Amino acid sequence: MTSSEEALMWVEKYRPKNLDEIVDLSDIVQSLKAFMRNPKTMPHLLLAGIPGTGKTTVALCIAHELFGQNWKTFTLELNASDERGIDTVRDRIKDFSRYSRSGFGDVPFALVILDESDQMTGPAQTALRRIMETSSRTSRFILICNQSGKIIEPIQSRCAIFRFSKLDKKAMIAHLEHIAKKENVTLSPEAAERIVEYSEGDLRHAINALQTASVYRDGLVDEKTVLQVIGEASPKQVQMMINKALNGEFVDARKIMYELMGAYGFSGSEIVRQMQRELFKLSYISPEQKADLTSIIGEYDYRLTQGANSDIQLSALLAQFGKVGKAKGENR
Amino acid sequence: MRTDALWVEKYRPEKISEVLGNEEAKATFVEWLQNKRHVKKAVLLYGPPGVGKTALVNAAANEFGYKVIEMNASDTRTEKAINKVAGPATFFVGLDRFSTASKGSLLFLDEVDGVAGREDRGGIGAIVKIVEESRIPVTMAANDTDLEKIRPLKKVSTLIRFQQVRLPLIITMLRRICAMEHIDAEYDALERIAENSKGDVRSAINDLQSLSEPNRVLTLQDTLALSSRNKDISMDETLRGFFSAKSFAEAATMLSRSNVDYDDFLLSVSDNLPRRYDNPEELAKAYDFVSRADVFRGRIGTEHWHLLRYFFNYMARAAAVSPESYRPFDFISPPIRIITLFWTKGKRTMLENICAKIGLQCHVSRVTAKNDFVLFIKAILEKKKSNSIVTWFKLENEEVEYLLKMNKF
Repeated sequence: MTSSEEALMWVEKYRPKNLDEIVDLSDIVQSLKAFMRNPKTMPHLLLAGIPGTGKTTVALCIAHELFGQNWKTFTLELNASDERGIDTVRDRIKDFSRYSRSGFGDVPFALVILDESDQMTGPAQTALRRIMETSSRTSRFILICNQSGKIIEPIQSRCAIFRFSKLDKKAMIAHLEHIAKKENVTLSPEAAERIVEYSEGDLRHAINALQTASVYRDGLVDEKTVLQVIGEASPKQVQMMINKALNGEFVDARKIMYELMGAYGFSGSEIVRQMQRELFKLSYISPEQKADLTSIIGEYDYRLTQGANSDIQLSALLAQFGKVGKAKGENR
Repeated sequence: MRTDALWVEKYRPEKISEVLGNEEAKATFVEWLQNKRHVKKAVLLYGPPGVGKTALVNAAANEFGYKVIEMNASDTRTEKAINKVAGPATFFVGLDRFSTASKGSLLFLDEVDGVAGREDRGGIGAIVKIVEESRIPVTMAANDTDLEKIRPLKKVSTLIRFQQVRLPLIITMLRRICAMEHIDAEYDALERIAENSKGDVRSAINDLQSLSEPNRVLTLQDTLALSSRNKDISMDETLRGFFSAKSFAEAATMLSRSNVDYDDFLLSVSDNLPRRYDNPEELAKAYDFVSRADVFRGRIGTEHWHLLRYFFNYMARAAAVSPESYRPFDFISPPIRIITLFWTKGKRTMLENICAKIGLQCHVSRVTAKNDFVLFIKAILEKKKSNSIVTWFKLENEEVEYLLKMNKF
C-alpha cells in the first residue's frame, strides 16, 4: 500500500480488518468465525442494527477473512440508497457474478455486500430475492440494514440474521482511548465521556468527533474542545428553521427548508429526522412541549410517505410548529 | 346565439383551395395523394387544433372522389376495434371503385395521438399494421408528434406539418361569413375574435357565431367576455377565486371548474398560503388541510382519479378556514420550489459529488456521508485547510472552497 492510499479518516484507519480485532460483538463474531472455518457452509447474511454499530465493518472483515488481500476482486459493494433502481443493482450483480464466478481457493463463491438494503422498495426487494436465487450458486449476499422489519419475509427467511445492538459505553470509550493513544492525542476522561454521550452509541460518529476535536488544539482534547466541535458540527440551519417556525416566522422558516432541499439536496424524511434530533437539544422548550411537537413530527413523517410533495408536507409541519409556538407565547 | 346550423359545418371547405393558409402543407398532401403514395403509404398531418387538418382531408377526398372512412379518439382503439372498422375497408376494394366518379375509399384516423396506452392496448401497433397492409390511402392527424408512443407511426408515414393560420386570413374569412349571414360587425371586433383564436379557425368561427345576433352590430365591447368564456381558467384566476371564496361550497365549485394542473396548483397554494393567512392558527389549520389534500394527490397517482373529489374536498376546506379575513394580495408564481431547485442545482451537484467521494473511501452511502461526515470534514478543513485528508478523498480545490464557504445545514 502506498502512502497516498493509507486511510486518513480515522473511521477507516482504525476499522478492524479481521473478526478478531472486533471488540464488544463477541456473540456475533463467534458465530461468524464458525462459517469462516468452513466457508462452504456460509449462508446469506442479514446484519441489522442502528448506525455506527459495526455492521459494515463486520461485512468487510468477512470479505477480508474469505479472500485475504484479493478481497476487492471477489467482493461487490453496493449501497441501495445510491443505486438508482433495482435494474442497476441487477445488472451490476449479474456482471459481477459473471466475471468472478470461480471464487477463490476454498471459497466457492463471490461476495455481494448490499448496504442500506432496507431503503429498497417492496417490489425491488422481490426482484432482489429473485437475483439472490438465480445467483446463489456463484454468490453469497450480506445484506445490511437498520431495521430488519423493513426487509420482506422471503428474504429474511433465506438469511442468517444477526442483530447489532447499541454499543456499550465502556467499549466505546476504550476504543476512543485506543485511537487517541495511537494518534498521540491527549484525551481527557470527561471529553471521552462527552463524545460517547453525544454520539448515542454510534461509533462512527464518535470517532469523527474525536478526529475533528484533535485538530482544534494540536492533539489536546478536553471537554471544552468537544463541546465546541459538537456545536460546530451540528445542523445550524435545521435549528434555525425550528426556531423561526416556533417563533411564528413561517415564511423565513420555509425559506430555510427550501435551502435545505435545494442547495443541500436533503429529502423530506431526512429533514424530518434532523428536526426530531435537534428538537431535543433545544433548552427553551419544556419536555411536555417536546413530546407534543414530536407527535406532530410523527404525524407528518407518516404523511410524507403517503403524499405527493414533500415540501408541502414539511411546510404544513412548520405551520403546525407556528401554532404551538404561539400558544406557548400566550401562556407565558 | 344563432340556433341554426353550426357555421363550422356550414362553411366547411369543399375544395382544397378553400382551406385557409398552410399552402405548403396542402401542396405536399396533394402531391402525396396523387403521385407519391408508393413512397410512403400513409401521411400524418400534425399541428395545433383547428388549423385545417381534417378540413383538408375532407376537401381533398371531395375533390378527387374518395369516400372517407373516419375513426377518431372517441372510438375505442383496441387492435380489435380498429381491425373491425378499418380492416375490411383496407383489404377489400369497394364496389364503387369501378364507377368512374370514385377512386375508392380513403381511411382517415383522426387524433392518433389520443391512442392511450392502457385502454387501447395494441392500438398503435394495429395502426402500423393497417398502414403496412392497406390498399387504400391512409391519412392520419395528430396534435402532437413528440409523443413517444406515436413514434412507430413516424416511420411508416410522410409527416406534414400544419401551422397556426395567419391573422389576416382568419379576419378575411370572418368577414366573408358575416357577409353571407348578413351580420354587421366592427372590424376591431373581428380582429379581436381572430386574435383570441390564436390561429385556430374552428374556434374563431364558433366565437363569431356565439357572439353575433341578427339585426345588431357586433362591437368590440361584445368580444371582451371572450377569453374567460373560451379558454381554461388560468392559474392566477383559479388562485384568486380559491383564496377569495366566501364559503367551502364556493371554493369547491371553483376547483371543479378549473382545468389547472393539480400539482402546480397544489404548489402554488402552498406558496401563497402564508400571504392569505397571517394568523398562525389559521395558517396551521389551512396547511393541515393542504397536507391532507397532498396525501390524496399521492394516492391518486396516475390512475386512481376517483379519489380526486377528496383532494378537492380538502383543498376547499383549506380555502374556507376563515373567509372573513380575506384581503386581496399579490400571488407568488411560479412555484418557489421550481425556482429554488433551478438556482441551487450547481451547489447541490457539488455537494453530491463530494459525498460520493466520501462514500467511496469510507464505505457509506452519499446520504450517510452528508449526514455523518460533511460537517466534521468542514470543521477539520476550517482549522487546517491544507489537510492531507483533501488528497485522500481526492477533493478538487473548488470542492474544498465549497465546503469552507458552505452554510452549515
